Amino acid sequence: MALPGIEAEGTLHPEELVDEPKPGAIHGRSPTQIALERLRHDKVAIISGVVVAILVLLGVLAPLITGALDICPDSDCTDTAEVIGTGGYPAIGPPLNAFTWDHPLGLEPQTGYDNLARLLYGLRTSLLVATISAVGATLIGVIIGLVSGFAHGWLDRGMSFTIDTFLAFPFILGALTLGPILTQRFAENPTALNWASVIAVITVLVVLGWMYLARIIRAEVLSLREREFIQAARVIGVPTRRILFKELLPNLIAPIVVSISLMLPNFVALEAALSYLGIGITGVPSLGQTINEAQLDYDFYPIYLWAPIITVMVLVVALNLLGDSVRDAFDPKTRR
Amino acid sequence: MRWNKPTIAAAVGALMVVAACGSGGSDSGSDTEEFQEGGGKGQVIDMTRSDGPAPPVEGAAEGGTIDVYSDAGLNTMMPSEVYYTNAGAISSGLVNRSLTQFVYNKDSGDITLIPDLATSWEPNEDNTEWTFTIREGIKYENGDPVEMEDFATGAMLSMDRHTFPEGATYSNNFFLHGGCDPNDKELYEGYYQSGPEYDGVEINGNEITYKMACPFPDMPYWGSFGAMGPIPEDAIDTQAELKEYVNHPLATGPYMFDNYVPEKELTLVKNPEWDPNSDPGRHQYVDQWNMDFDTDTAKIDNIILEDSQPAALTFDDLLASTYLRMKQDAPDRLVPGPEACTWFLAPDYRKVTEIEVRQALAYGFPYEAFLEAGGEVIGATAEYPTSNIMPPGIPGRVEYNVTPGLEPGKTDPAKAKELLAKAGYDPGEYEITWLYQRDDEEAVAQKDQVVKGLEEAGFSVRPVATTTEAYSTEREEVDSSLNLRFAGWCSDFPSGGSWMPPLFQTTNLDAEGLAANYSVFSEKSVDQRIAEINQITDATEQATAWNDLEKMMQQKYLPAIPVYYTGAIQGRGSAVQNMDVDPAFGMPTFKDMWVQQ
Repeated sequence: MALPGIEAEGTLHPEELVDEPKPGAIHGRSPTQIALERLRHDKVAIISGVVVAILVLLGVLAPLITGALDICPDSDCTDTAEVIGTGGYPAIGPPLNAFTWDHPLGLEPQTGYDNLARLLYGLRTSLLVATISAVGATLIGVIIGLVSGFAHGWLDRGMSFTIDTFLAFPFILGALTLGPILTQRFAENPTALNWASVIAVITVLVVLGWMYLARIIRAEVLSLREREFIQAARVIGVPTRRILFKELLPNLIAPIVVSISLMLPNFVALEAALSYLGIGITGVPSLGQTINEAQLDYDFYPIYLWAPIITVMVLVVALNLLGDSVRDAFDPKTRR
Repeated sequence: MRWNKPTIAAAVGALMVVAACGSGGSDSGSDTEEFQEGGGKGQVIDMTRSDGPAPPVEGAAEGGTIDVYSDAGLNTMMPSEVYYTNAGAISSGLVNRSLTQFVYNKDSGDITLIPDLATSWEPNEDNTEWTFTIREGIKYENGDPVEMEDFATGAMLSMDRHTFPEGATYSNNFFLHGGCDPNDKELYEGYYQSGPEYDGVEINGNEITYKMACPFPDMPYWGSFGAMGPIPEDAIDTQAELKEYVNHPLATGPYMFDNYVPEKELTLVKNPEWDPNSDPGRHQYVDQWNMDFDTDTAKIDNIILEDSQPAALTFDDLLASTYLRMKQDAPDRLVPGPEACTWFLAPDYRKVTEIEVRQALAYGFPYEAFLEAGGEVIGATAEYPTSNIMPPGIPGRVEYNVTPGLEPGKTDPAKAKELLAKAGYDPGEYEITWLYQRDDEEAVAQKDQVVKGLEEAGFSVRPVATTTEAYSTEREEVDSSLNLRFAGWCSDFPSGGSWMPPLFQTTNLDAEGLAANYSVFSEKSVDQRIAEINQITDATEQATAWNDLEKMMQQKYLPAIPVYYTGAIQGRGSAVQNMDVDPAFGMPTFKDMWVQQ
């Protein structure tokens, strides 16, 4: 109530003291929405997100781009005898001749395949394999982590033991033995062999990656399951499955999203490493394989080696930065 | 000789070629002009050069160390088992003397067979007995005298395929009780299998007579192999003693072992017991050889290219990029050379029965693309073939062409389709199945080219994957689904006798499998002619006869389709002197080298 007759500057009006809810302007925001909002303001996240988006687009559109630029990644459309000259090096473009726009990254020695085309298809392979593996590892990790964290007694102990065993197993060595086994099994059938090698690589990556997420999820669940809302749900009689998937899982979105975004660059790098070791995918171009083939040409034909290395590097760094930003966005402790 | 690619590293062109006999010669005009003929020379046997010392190398100085680098490993240095070219050149050239030896003639670029521990030799009328007169006063590195019985021991060891599975089989193929006589029930299977008593070797004073079950006109050449050299019996009495001996075979040559890590390194130092007056072929200029068989290809090429170690050399083929750069910057440190080897397609004669189909393969195979995808430097490490299986330089070789209208290295898919149609096959109807190494990216690239080329030529294709390790074994399988094999072969001797019999004589598939007859070829008329030619004692007449037989066989049957003849491109540092490629092995001429200090 204002004092009668006196209107001074800066007088406090009661209505200003109370924050009136403006209709439709404020409503509760979920943690995910808060995180996305923060991401939108993070410059690093935007830039790395754009880079990743461009690379994904390049990979997805590889056939279109190679068709449009008239470049060829394999023997189907390359005339090796024609494009290869002295010493097995290309007769057009680097390293023996001048740069040409027809083949901006040059041709591969000995075979004449176009390096840009193989880069695009290799990117496609890397992204595809990394994504499928990340999804697979996440599914397995989440399920095992959830069950293990929520269960008591022998189930939990058994699963913990399984996680630890998998962590200790030298899977790279196991993967190295897979190569000859697959070759023998599918020797007579090249298409099956290519598919088998894809599945093998994905399996190796999944098997190498699910444990980390499982442990994180298990730890989160262990802390969450003693909370009141869970205990209340159990008291009411909510079936375990509903508790796991309807009550616990939504609280675990943050670590899951972060884990995926950090797993992707690791898997891209791992796939390249596996290809380099010779247990990668055959039949399709692969960045790791190109790096392996190009290493002896590091000083004679540098762009042949640097193009795939830089591509892998950019992809992995961008995914890493994006993952970091996502983790920061989702982590309530870093909220300013 | 069998051709084996090393499994140790996927280096470009680091071919492991089993001991070849052939020699260098004129360039055969291709775009890089480096390719050297191998094979012809070395047919000259010069028994008059039996006295040492070897003629001195002009300007040579004593002393110094040479570093030898390779990436291909070293499977053994035991003379009885040495068969790969790298081990053969080092063993025979520097450490272990034998009955005869090859020397390199720098002016003509060829090789000559001269006496080594034997001063002369003589066959009987039909080449079923060879008597060698052995030099006196030879000692091993430990001062012990070389006894006549040691040669018998060596011969007995050379027949032991069980103990030395990777050794050459010439003793078994020709010596008494070795198995070439089908009626012989009492086979002698080597020192450890059948005991130290063998009646195929007879000693009379300082003469030793080797008895053959089948005529062996090429025995003097076989005498150059370490397997025919002396080995003291008391050093290899038991298998346990053998195990130690193989790590330090007693030297009779100018150098002896100092340090030996099997497969990896070998250090040779001067052998004080070697008497230059007893050796008409070798020199002892260098103080020490340091050999490293486990060095990365990139490192080797860098050392040679940059000349960072002037006293270094490599007998591996240089990478194409290194070769191209050295051609420009340091052409005198490039050492190209001949290898007397042929790489060919071997369609399975039992399955690919129509000659038109084999001819279609010859017309339709993508030679150029195949070689380029495999990393060969056309004109240096590989030369386009004619229809001849024997490579350029083998005595008696006369070029012929059984694929009229097809130039070397070119492909004619239209003609291939025509031939298939003639045999009654529509395009895509005839399936070709072959083996390739899935874990070798060059092999995969080559496979892709073959797939493309053969499909264009009207075949359908089914490549079968295998690993580098399993490749040789699977290729030898008698009953497999393959109807096409890829094979390489190098001369053991500069003679058609080292090509026709091992590659095209009928083999007993049950007893010995394919052996080296990769085409599984079998024609009685050819077998008979081979037996006849083996009886010819005049070397020139025999050489012509081999060539005529090969021509007739190719024209009438075409069991093998040559894909390329090989050459070597090796390199040296600036201090290494007098290095050429020895046509006997496709290896450096170790015997004549010296180092500038």
